[in-house]
Amino acid sequence: MATVRTSNTISLPLASRLTTAVVSLLLGIFIVYGVGLSHSETLHDTAHDTRHSYGFPCH
Amino acid sequence: MLVKYLLATIIAGLFAGILLTPAMYVKTVPLILHAEEYENAGGEGHSHEAPAATTEAAPAVAPHEHGQEAGPELPLGRFGNTLLINLVAGAGFALITGAAALFLGRRITLQNGIYWGLAGFFIFNFAPAFSLAPELPAMPAADLATRQAWWLITVVLTAGGVYLIVLRDEIWAKLVGVVLIVAPHVYGAPEAEDLASAVPPTLASEFAVSTLATNLFFWVVLGTALGWAIQNYASSELDA
Repeated sequence: MATVRTSNTISLPLASRLTTAVVSLLLGIFIVYGVGLSHSETLHDTAHDTRHSYGFPCH
Repeated sequence: MLVKYLLATIIAGLFAGILLTPAMYVKTVPLILHAEEYENAGGEGHSHEAPAATTEAAPAVAPHEHGQEAGPELPLGRFGNTLLINLVAGAGFALITGAAALFLGRRITLQNGIYWGLAGFFIFNFAPAFSLAPELPAMPAADLATRQAWWLITVVLTAGGVYLIVLRDEIWAKLVGVVLIVAPHVYGAPEAEDLASAVPPTLASEFAVSTLATNLFFWVVLGTALGWAIQNYASSELDA
């Protein structure tokens, strides 16, 4: 068990990981786009301080 | 679908987002508020939106300025909004990092989590900031969409570069990786035509360093939390 716990790789085959990876990536991109890049005025004003602090181009 | 894995990444992201908020309030938000005094005093202000984005009939709409009128932001107060957005952003960056690890067949652990965090910091913060310094309100800047495009391209190229350098053994891969990371800076970030600013340079430089410090903190927490959460909640799925 100790070797499994410290392993840096995942033994699960790619086919079993792919769906989760795609869903996770798309969801993450959607969120980061909304927080950091969307031109929606409501999103911009709500996220304003975070955008500046994070280094997103803001204005 | 590896549901536990997804939940573990989201939990780690929320945790890092919570911790980012006080760090921002100590280091960066006071500088943003300070800069907004110059923004409002400048009279000219800045337009928040590209003109095309607002189709309001009123001609010559006064530029929206921070802190003086209620904007269309969510009604949680400035702190509440920032906390909410940090939680959401934390989850977003955590999901992207978790997805990258899944694609690559790599496991984020408590031990190596800090390296995943440092990679995220380098990709999302340090590399873009190297040529496009974090801006304060009221600072001059080039066209927003152009800067956003440069930011996005830089992040994608840097991510590719980091992968080639860190996870590939071939010499050609490492060389291509360096080229990918350097290319957007050789090309150059969009710059404002007129650099004159009402914001004192000292404030701006202090802000640039403060954002990098808070974001480094955020990413180190996120990487470590990802390793911890995945190891504790999702390892049964990954060992299957």
